[in-house]
Amino acid sequence: MNIRPVKVDDFLGMQACNLQNLPENYTMKYYLYHAMTWPSLSYVAEDHKGRIVGYILAKMDEDGGEDAEPHGHVTSISILRSYRRLGLAKKLMVQSQEAMATIYRASFVSLHVRKSNRAALGLYRDTLGFTVQDIEKKYYADGEDAYAMRLSLKP
Amino acid sequence: MSDIPAKRALPPKESTLFKELLTLYETRQLKKGLKTADQILKKFPEHGETTCMKGLVLTHMGRREEGIELVRKGVRLDLTSHICWHVYGLIHKGEKNYEEALKCYTQALRFDKENLNILRDAAQLQTQLRIYDGLVETRHTLLKIRPAMRQHWMALAVAYHLNGNLAEAKKILEHYEATLKAQNVPDYDVEHSETMLYHVRLLEDLGEFTEALAMLDVNAKSRAIVDRTSIMEIRARLLSKLESDEAEHAWRVLVEHNPDCYEYYRGYLSNLGLTLDATDANASRALSILEEFSIQIPRATAPRRLALTIASGDHFKELVTPYLFSGLKKGVPSLFSDIKGLYQDTPKQQIIEEVAVAARDKFSSTSLEPSSSTTDIEPTTYLWTLYFLAQHHSYLGRHSQALKMLELALAHTPTLPELHMFKGRVLKRAGDLLGGARCLEDARFLDGQDRFLNTKSAKYRLRAGMVEEASALLGLFTKKDAISPGADLEDMQSLFYLIEEADAHNKNGNFGPALKKYMAVNKVFDEVEDDQYDFHGYSLRKFTINIYLNLLTWEDRLRSHPAYVKAALSASRIFVAVHDDPSIGTAANASGAQLTDAQKKAKKKAKKAAQKIQEDAKKGSNNDDKGLEPTPKDDDPDGSKLLQCTDPLERAAKLLKPLVTLADTNIEVWIATYDVAVRRKKYLQASKALAQAAAIDSEYPELHIRRVEFRQAVSSPPEPPQAVAPILADLMSKLLADEVSSEAFNSQYLQRHSASAPAILAVAKVQVKLQAPREQVEETVLTAMREEVPIDIKTALAIVAFLGTIKSPREEEFRTWCGEKFPLATVFKPAAELAALRELALAAPQEVPDKVEDVP
Repeated sequence: MNIRPVKVDDFLGMQACNLQNLPENYTMKYYLYHAMTWPSLSYVAEDHKGRIVGYILAKMDEDGGEDAEPHGHVTSISILRSYRRLGLAKKLMVQSQEAMATIYRASFVSLHVRKSNRAALGLYRDTLGFTVQDIEKKYYADGEDAYAMRLSLKP
Repeated sequence: MSDIPAKRALPPKESTLFKELLTLYETRQLKKGLKTADQILKKFPEHGETTCMKGLVLTHMGRREEGIELVRKGVRLDLTSHICWHVYGLIHKGEKNYEEALKCYTQALRFDKENLNILRDAAQLQTQLRIYDGLVETRHTLLKIRPAMRQHWMALAVAYHLNGNLAEAKKILEHYEATLKAQNVPDYDVEHSETMLYHVRLLEDLGEFTEALAMLDVNAKSRAIVDRTSIMEIRARLLSKLESDEAEHAWRVLVEHNPDCYEYYRGYLSNLGLTLDATDANASRALSILEEFSIQIPRATAPRRLALTIASGDHFKELVTPYLFSGLKKGVPSLFSDIKGLYQDTPKQQIIEEVAVAARDKFSSTSLEPSSSTTDIEPTTYLWTLYFLAQHHSYLGRHSQALKMLELALAHTPTLPELHMFKGRVLKRAGDLLGGARCLEDARFLDGQDRFLNTKSAKYRLRAGMVEEASALLGLFTKKDAISPGADLEDMQSLFYLIEEADAHNKNGNFGPALKKYMAVNKVFDEVEDDQYDFHGYSLRKFTINIYLNLLTWEDRLRSHPAYVKAALSASRIFVAVHDDPSIGTAANASGAQLTDAQKKAKKKAKKAAQKIQEDAKKGSNNDDKGLEPTPKDDDPDGSKLLQCTDPLERAAKLLKPLVTLADTNIEVWIATYDVAVRRKKYLQASKALAQAAAIDSEYPELHIRRVEFRQAVSSPPEPPQAVAPILADLMSKLLADEVSSEAFNSQYLQRHSASAPAILAVAKVQVKLQAPREQVEETVLTAMREEVPIDIKTALAIVAFLGTIKSPREEEFRTWCGEKFPLATVFKPAAELAALRELALAAPQEVPDKVEDVP
């Protein structure tokens, strides 16, 4: 599969991929907001017909205040079930992390995962090297807790 | 301020109150604002500006109608106040009525030429409406007023760029950068980096490649540009354009940076004058380059996959064998979809089959001896090989062979969802939609937590026409507090869901709900078009100009998206059908009386939830800001009002309009455009649409029908107006020569396409229009049953439907024939049999067999 930086044309396909795969969904405006703010952090995987089969939607976290270390945040990452076992998530993550580190000098990258989502937890921890930093109570709209996970980007 | 008109002037006390009112509005203290406005109006009921402000506050509080009425009144009371016009503009903007809003802002600016807020809003409206010359002017004014604002320079450059004046944009940018030098930009300033990247792009677009490269290199070195990937990409592209010796290295650096990006390999090859085309004379050179990359970067799959495209013969076999084996051993579910692009080449297809069959033979023996220690092959490898072969056979239309592979695989491992999913796909392709839905449900049961399996199962239910049952599944993953699963998916802009459910309703003959969902697709595209509005300001503040310019280009072509094309065409056909036969609209309404219990329950729930939203909106007494956008209310949840609208053709025309430029190579767009135009008696437009269709495919069956239909339309009274008659006659004769009778034209067409099922059906339809006796029409259409006529399920179903419309007694005969022709298909079965299959499709999964059955 082709791994490349995201283009504006990709966001409808990205949204479709997200809706098919994950319970956390967003309207197009939120995708566009990512693109118009951090245009170089998101990546897609596409098949031979140009269909989006996986993506990473990423941003810089600006919640930490002025003196907090700049760090990246993965809003959403997903691979269509039929395109698993190709290592696409890792490849997308690596490209996005590199961009976070070089453009914004991010020192780490964070993400949230549902406590019950064992498959995703396994991917982040075992394949991508994230560690659980904290538990955020009732992070999701339906009241479920989230693991806050982190991966250092310092060499 | 002696020029204030007497009716606007307020005594000091009220004047202070008015200023307070403005502040209270700015800070959205709506209740206090309302009180203050009333205080002024008590003494000066005719004060226009206060009246407008009160209207604005009320609108924000959710008392919309009352509020807007006051705003209108206020404007009338004081036609020369910029505040009044500004407020009126805000109201229009809230309604997304950008044209009217801009008119108000233009009025406001007449009375307050240098108002920054109004100018900024006007610029955003001009961008949204693509009035670029006006935009340049507005941006100029803003820069003149506040030259110290960095973004005003940027905004003017972008305005020139959008207006097509790249040279002027460049000049402005140079000015801007000169002012920056004095201020010392810090390192790693992302905004500055984006600005410089925009400057480089401008130079590239102007064809000044040397200058662009120099600017890129200088700024990359000084770390003014920090986006490494962009630097590398632009550098390689520019060096190639300059035919520089350094280009090859630049592309190599990119490949090493991201070895799974196809574009970089293409760039590398293209720089050497090579392509990924197997028929290219230099294909072997390209191939050896890709093979070198494969060795150098073993973790990358792209060069190995791209090599398969170029290689041929024995070399292909040499490369594809390890590629397939590695995928099968890893259990890559997408292996087949990854390589099926190679099937256009028949020899490759055969080689792949050979390799896969050999793999099956090899792995099946190891799978029988799980203890064999001499091999590292997992038993699942055999499974994935069977899965691959099933996909291979199915792709080539060998349904029963595909099913045989899947039965073997399922007997081996009944718990792999992929196998059930694919079995469902084979059955769907073979015309057994209910069996397909059954299999997808089996897959879903194996992993209820997986939304992908859930979505697929719901999709298959929709394809089989089971709308309620699909909704029940989708609801497992949608928000629990939504009116319905569908409402949540619509809020989340799921085009997939909207199209699938609309199609299902359409096929079931429920045209109201179908139309409703197709129009919901249109609404999603309206929303995405509106989404760009805020970015006209935001992106300039963020200096992310390159992506912003791409956003505008994309928005301009937004409705070329397949989901919009599909929805617009389908909705337009329904509008045309209901125009031709209004009873469709009323009949659909009547059928609403026979709802199932589940439907009634869902309807009740939806009504209740909708009521709550309305009530919340009405509670205007609290301080909550409801914004300026109208709360959407839906008084037509099942689309029956939509179906009975008085202007179906006008609505259809509006949907099709963007497609005439954005999807002009799609012949169905022109057919649909004709269908609407001819009914609106717009004969010139109709004939032009047919001419466009003819330019794409002059023998297209649907076009054939319209040629005859159009002749009938223009020759039957009332005659077209005199003025256009000669032009029309000329255009008509090009579509269907004057000297040929319609009957002869029809039989000539049949002679040319006697072995094409869709053409045969078209000829039969024309015969009906020419009032041929039914027996003759039947005779014609049933020639589709001849051995030499290839026919697919879709066409066969269209013929069944056609026989139904002419009330043919031979429909049963044709259905029976179809049943034999498509032995796996259930779509031709009578309703009674289908009901039983439906039950089966919805039941809980069957017990997993513990004994392997013999497969013949």
